[in-house]
Amino acid sequence: MRAVAHNKVALAFGALFVAIVVLCLLAPVYARDIAHTGPNDNHITETVNVGGKRVDVVSPIGVPIGPTWKERFLLGADSNGRDVAVRLLYGGRNSLEIAAIATLITMVLAIVLGTLAGYMRGITDGVLSRVFDLVWAYPAVLLGVALGVALAVGGLDLGVFTLHSGSLLLPAFVIGIVFFPYVAKPLRGHALSLREREFVDAARIMGYPPPLGSVRIMVSEILPNLTSSIVVFVPLIVANAILLEAGLSYLGAGVQAPNPSWGTMIADGIRLIPGAIHLVLVPGIMLMLTVLSVNVFADGVRDALDPKAIVRGRL
Amino acid sequence: MKEGRQVHRTLRAVMGMSLALALTVGLNACGSSSTSSKSGGTVTVLMGTAPDSLDPGLGATTQSYEATWITYTGLLTYAHTSGEAGTKLIPGLAERLPTVSANGKTYTFTLRKGLHYSNGASVKASDFAYTIQRAIKLGWGNKSFLTENIVGGEEFDKGKASSISGIQTDDATGSITIKLVAPYGPFLNVLAFPAAGLVPSGTSMKSLTNSPPPGVGPYEIASVVPNKSFSLVRNPHFSSSTIPGVPAGHVDVNVKIASNNQSEAEQVLGNTADVFDHNDTIPPTLLSQVESQASGRFAKEPTVSGEYFFLNTKSKPFNNPLVREAVNYAIDRRALQRLDSGMLDPGCYFLPVGMPGHPTSSCPYGEPNSETTAANATKAKELVRRSGLAGTAVTVWGQSRSPHKEFVDYYASVLNEIGLKATEKIVADAQYYATIGNLSTNPQTGWLSFSQDFPNPIDFYQLLDAKSILPTENHNPSQVNDPHIQSEIASLGPVPSSQLSSVVSRWQALDQYTAQKAYMVVFGYDEVPKFFSNRINFSAAIFHPVYGNDWSSLQLK
Repeated sequence: MRAVAHNKVALAFGALFVAIVVLCLLAPVYARDIAHTGPNDNHITETVNVGGKRVDVVSPIGVPIGPTWKERFLLGADSNGRDVAVRLLYGGRNSLEIAAIATLITMVLAIVLGTLAGYMRGITDGVLSRVFDLVWAYPAVLLGVALGVALAVGGLDLGVFTLHSGSLLLPAFVIGIVFFPYVAKPLRGHALSLREREFVDAARIMGYPPPLGSVRIMVSEILPNLTSSIVVFVPLIVANAILLEAGLSYLGAGVQAPNPSWGTMIADGIRLIPGAIHLVLVPGIMLMLTVLSVNVFADGVRDALDPKAIVRGRL
Repeated sequence: MKEGRQVHRTLRAVMGMSLALALTVGLNACGSSSTSSKSGGTVTVLMGTAPDSLDPGLGATTQSYEATWITYTGLLTYAHTSGEAGTKLIPGLAERLPTVSANGKTYTFTLRKGLHYSNGASVKASDFAYTIQRAIKLGWGNKSFLTENIVGGEEFDKGKASSISGIQTDDATGSITIKLVAPYGPFLNVLAFPAAGLVPSGTSMKSLTNSPPPGVGPYEIASVVPNKSFSLVRNPHFSSSTIPGVPAGHVDVNVKIASNNQSEAEQVLGNTADVFDHNDTIPPTLLSQVESQASGRFAKEPTVSGEYFFLNTKSKPFNNPLVREAVNYAIDRRALQRLDSGMLDPGCYFLPVGMPGHPTSSCPYGEPNSETTAANATKAKELVRRSGLAGTAVTVWGQSRSPHKEFVDYYASVLNEIGLKATEKIVADAQYYATIGNLSTNPQTGWLSFSQDFPNPIDFYQLLDAKSILPTENHNPSQVNDPHIQSEIASLGPVPSSQLSSVVSRWQALDQYTAQKAYMVVFGYDEVPKFFSNRINFSAAIFHPVYGNDWSSLQLK
């Protein structure tokens, strides 16, 4: 962590990401105390005071007002007369929440299955690796869209486990499934090499008999040595999950209306380009800043944890 | 000598052609208005959605009808005129309007003499029977108008008969007799559908959408590239004297499918295409530009169609009249007008403006265009509270297409505001009607639009007829089964379209009753853009009340 602390650029972008997260978490406060409107409250036929003049929030031909730079409609309104700033923060909450849960699902699946495949080898490895290949072989976005669209209307009902169609967990689940092989395969490779190391042999000799012994070795010997890889993967998956969520929501397969997300906000605004370009620019810039900040911070973490990256940096 | 005879023959031919031209010009001058017409050239028409089929026996969408009504003329057709006059039925391939028996169940037509299809073949009376059989066999989307009304139609459809017993024809005399199961008021309008436009006997009983069959009309369809383009070229066997009232067409028409509204509008604004699809919406941000830069070639045309949210009267919370009333009070129809780029005339009655029977009285839920009475959220909240159904979960169904999704966003927010707990289910356009039309889905509420198949109010009231509640393709998603509506439909349905004026007050009373019962939330009637390039003679172009842009009236400046 000391190495990360020395990387000022990574730290600055890490701080930016934290700031975005905090802002998004404060969405209800902003909505209640500053904008005085909720994320789904419409004000289509209302007017707002701009520069001493009453201006339609949405014009008679449907063009919404741009940024007022005031408490109400700070970043403008959308076609339904909803406050873009409020929706931006709530949308960010949704996007970040989905990204966090999706990353959790990806990492748990990848760590368990990747370690199991790498350590156990044989049939277990054969079966699990084919599963990884199967999911990997399908383009991530297409798989996400296919799953998202299929589940968007009916939800997911596995008997003991049910997700309603409007639930934020649904896109999180879809993204988590889509990305896990991208982490599981490298972890499997890493586990495969670790199981041949002396300290693992020593653990076996010291009396960890299979099959329970194998679990103990994986948990106490293999997993700790995978930590640096896992730490590097987490921000990368977060960034990709945010992007995929935006893509899925843009295509109608992610967050369901009227809930905002940066992807749905871009989708809603695209038909109003160029007259109300703020509808696309505002969530687009926020999305870009968030992903950029995570990626640069992730690079810093990787540079700190990966000796080869440090060498590359010195070159 | 040989050369001299040839010259003489040529001179005679030139003189003959000149005489014919003079006569044609003279006849045109007598029959048309003072607007000078110019023939020749090709125009490019943009279409946002491809027709479902260009085979008249299959096509059932407005995009299909726009092309086929000038390609396949039936025994009757509509006058090629804008406004209400365009809803008048005129004889098409029939010599005159039919004689109808006293019990209203037998219609007798006589075919015009000397008619030819676009391939030159002669038209026979028996082709009519074949055409109707073909539309039923192919599964035309509105075939129930034929099978339910014509004697023997059901049996033929089910394969129990090889022909339709209720249709008798005589090729020698050109006589066509149609027997109905029961009097049906708009039956003549049914015969004006392009699906009843004659095709030659022996035409394949399979879909010919990529190579449409010959027909009788100003145009023939050619060069079909599925989902991309097709052309309408002038029919060499048709002239303006073939069928009085049906013009021969001035230009050839190239139709291009352009699914992006923005690009479509930009092309017409920039004069790289000629006709904007009236079924599409001009994006709001371009609309002001169109209004300012193309004011002479843009107009808002009212249509006999509208938009509403259905309310499932069999499910909570909309089985409670108080909640249905509450929603009608809460909706601000002016807001929905803005979401539709201003192309909506706010209203609350089911029968649209322009349809006989549209009530002239004020709306029971407040004047929709007034700022003070357009919406009453306070009263709506009170009604929901009184119903005891506050907090009931409601799923609002909608289409992903703009502005339909925006309508649903607004509607869901209003439902939440008045104390219900609304969430949305947005479905891809292609699956939407099949999804909500499936009774097992049992949708609580959602967006729908309605437009006339023909200018008779019974067409709209089929959507509130208990008989239309079907397991699939349910046409009555509010699941209304009201004895008063049923009895009025039974009584008013048989009144012929030509005699609607005698029952207008009864239709008005019925529509007021429907509005008071709040079986749905009607929020307005569509206006559509008539928007052309500056190459087109805008004032001469007809916007038809049933079929939209009348391509046979297009002419270059």
